[in-house]
Amino acid sequence: MQAKINTHLIEIFKTEFGSIYQCDQTNHFILEYAGRFTAFKPTNFIDFTKRVFAINLHDMASNTARHADIAILMPLYTETCFLLTMSDTIRLQRILGGAKTILHLNTLLKTSQLQFA
Amino acid sequence: MKDLLRLRTSLTEEIETLLNEQIKVEAYSSSLYLAMSSWCDRNGYDNSAGYLEKQSGEEREHMLKLFRYVNDLGGSAVSPEVINIPQEFDSFKGVFEMALQQEIQVTSNFNRIADRCQKANDYVTFQFLQWFLKEQVEEEYVARRILELFEVIGEEGTGRWEIDKHIPKVSFGISGE
Repeated sequence: MQAKINTHLIEIFKTEFGSIYQCDQTNHFILEYAGRFTAFKPTNFIDFTKRVFAINLHDMASNTARHADIAILMPLYTETCFLLTMSDTIRLQRILGGAKTILHLNTLLKTSQLQFA
Repeated sequence: MKDLLRLRTSLTEEIETLLNEQIKVEAYSSSLYLAMSSWCDRNGYDNSAGYLEKQSGEEREHMLKLFRYVNDLGGSAVSPEVINIPQEFDSFKGVFEMALQQEIQVTSNFNRIADRCQKANDYVTFQFLQWFLKEQVEEEYVARRILELFEVIGEEGTGRWEIDKHIPKVSFGISGE
């Protein structure tokens, strides 16, 4: 699946640390982060976003145990394993949160188009 | 640009989350009623045990109705993890007081979801919820009527035996017809 990602990408949201694209040909979302590309089906993208936002940043900051410094996420049906530090998590939350807002805006626009067509 | 989120499901993330939370509440209710049934059985209230077992089955049906709806609309229904089910109860009356509290909680949850559906313009789900809202009128009525039996019959002497005998006969709509 990873090999298919290369063309027809629409940029959804971008920061200096990464971006989210949509591929209308494969109906996938593609996350570009730390030089790696990961493709998600919409359902798995939502699931991944929820998991990133569920990371307890307060615990990462206050817990002195070494294991608390890293969050490990292995999204479903991808070949990527995310090892996230606190700053990684914040950056990823910004990217995914921004993408989510744009996607909702797209839904609103599409709904309005249908209503006034 | 395609709307991939809408192609996936017509449920918004918020409504899908609320419905999944309610699936969990219904699963909890089902397990709670089953624990109550077991307690009643252990303490000699055979009729109540049977009634509560039947109620447990109904709650599971409610859960499945919600579960299927979420999946039918392209969402992801989550099979719930149910924990912390009380296995012991203070008294026979305490069992039914807890049952009423649980029903009140469920009604409140459905009202909240219906409110969110209206705010999110999700009238498909709002319509779907009408069945549950109607069902809750019955559930609360029956739970209150059962508690009233404890006052009307009294628990002294053979009172609890008499109450146990009457519990499965309590139903919604009979007295009003």
